[in-house]
Amino acid sequence: MNKCTRETCFVPDTGCDLGHAVLSKCPVWCGTARADAPTDDLSDEVLLPWSGSALGLADLGFVSGRARPLVIGVVGAQNAGKTTLLGAWYLLLGRGLADLGDRRFAGSYSLSGWEAVAGAMRWPPGHAPRFPPHTTSRGGRAPGMLHIALRDEDHGRLVDYLFTDAPGEWFQKWAVNTDSQEGVGARWISDYADAFLVVADREALSGEAMGSARGSLQLLARRLSSELRERPVALVWTKADVEIAPAMDTAVRKAVFDVMPNAAEFSVSVVSESEGDPAVNKGTGLVDLLRWAVDVRRPTVHLPSPTAASKDLLFVYGSRPK
Amino acid sequence: MTPLSSSILLVGESGVGKTHYGAQLLRRLMKGDDLLRMDGAATNVEPFEAALESLNDGRAAGHTAMATYVDSVWPVVDAQGRRAELIWPDYGGEQIKTIIESRRVPAAWQTRIHTAGAWLLLIRLQQTRIGDDIFSKPLRDLRGASMDNQEVHPSDQARLVELLQMFLFAGGLTGLTDRMPRLGVLLTCWDEATFFGTPKEALDARLPLVSAFVHSVWQCPLIMGLSALERPLSPTARDMDYVAQGPEHFGYVIASDGTRSNDLTAPIHAMLGTFA
Repeated sequence: MNKCTRETCFVPDTGCDLGHAVLSKCPVWCGTARADAPTDDLSDEVLLPWSGSALGLADLGFVSGRARPLVIGVVGAQNAGKTTLLGAWYLLLGRGLADLGDRRFAGSYSLSGWEAVAGAMRWPPGHAPRFPPHTTSRGGRAPGMLHIALRDEDHGRLVDYLFTDAPGEWFQKWAVNTDSQEGVGARWISDYADAFLVVADREALSGEAMGSARGSLQLLARRLSSELRERPVALVWTKADVEIAPAMDTAVRKAVFDVMPNAAEFSVSVVSESEGDPAVNKGTGLVDLLRWAVDVRRPTVHLPSPTAASKDLLFVYGSRPK
Repeated sequence: MTPLSSSILLVGESGVGKTHYGAQLLRRLMKGDDLLRMDGAATNVEPFEAALESLNDGRAAGHTAMATYVDSVWPVVDAQGRRAELIWPDYGGEQIKTIIESRRVPAAWQTRIHTAGAWLLLIRLQQTRIGDDIFSKPLRDLRGASMDNQEVHPSDQARLVELLQMFLFAGGLTGLTDRMPRLGVLLTCWDEATFFGTPKEALDARLPLVSAFVHSVWQCPLIMGLSALERPLSPTARDMDYVAQGPEHFGYVIASDGTRSNDLTAPIHAMLGTFA
């Protein structure tokens, strides 16, 4: 037996997804492997359960070990700048310019994934930076997810975040038909995300196909609103440096805020508004948006405060409000 | 739960100056005038021999060959009688490179990670840098410029963070805080970094992601600067000051508070202090 019987475990390609650093200590692996593979050369080195690439459904078990991560769904049409948004955040974190208040970067199990989305925006020797390549639409039940852990300064709580990096085609299919086969990945995001960023592409909304861009954004907003269940949502204008017609601006705002009145609104661009020292250039609005996203919390249950006067916990538990 | 052992594991990629530091440190430890001295004999100082020779000649040592794979363990003691073991596992830094590339931690390293009470990570700021990107060097118009998938080389910061994450996982330490080994970061070749400020400020400024990671995982990492040679040496041309005065008169360290001293054993001594 050269494979683990657990479906989400990819030994020997990656490490044990139950987190056993030494395979011989994993009960599942031993249960299946002992019979016909008494000694194999795998056991003497530690394989890692994460590959570093963007995470898929099978990898979620590993990162959700300490607590359920907060999933931030990035929703929008193709070429709207969803992947660029993620890459830009990673670059800003790497430059120390993403000021997250009292939170600090505390690790990531998808560093290669982040590098892949941000890599295109770096200056490799002899090449100019570009925007990240188009996120290829494959069949798939869930999007690729980029993981990041943040910890409060003074060693407070550690919170895991997953940002979805899904192709825009999924959302277009899903907006038209919620049960669409090509849109199952978008459905997954709609089902499991804790917050949404709706990306409105100012370039598309001012270009040749602006009518259809507006139309599909309106559809998308309507679809999302019907499945929102009061989760936080933000309207994100990407490519904020591009001018759009005031009528278009109003139409998109109306489409979003009519159905989701509590939505926040951000304008982002990798181009900075002010000319300043390029070393501290943060683009426009990117850090504010990231702060909004990492401030997302799940709704919590409010426990009624005890009404009993007794200090004894036993009597507090049993008492009823008068 | 086993108490933290007093061994200090030295970790660094190739080219950070481990051999130079080792050679200079070895000389000081043998002399015994500094905060630390050798307590008995080191197991194997063969890899540092050639470097010692080169420094005596006022030349830089060559790259350490990959074939040297034996651990060198140096027992050290300070004036108060506190003992520690310095473990030099990988003179060439090739194994670290292999670990990062293959994403596998060999069993020997797992044992080292498990048993060490402290890790001293050597980083050379000049060799790990943040390249220019779309923010630092914006183009007026990138619109429509998108490219096909091409190979992406991970950035230096991502590599270092991933290395530490791998070590934490291999040591079974992910998410734990009570039995974490102490961490020291030694910024090598401080003379070439031309940074005025404390080593912590240098790490913050030059490698913000690594700095954030180190500070959020470890309660109080020690961040220090080191210039093992004090000035750049050439592998071919001889530096006559070195020849005349001897290499033991060169080299300095920057303590975590920014003070400079000539005692090259100070970083190890400071690590020893964290065991208390």
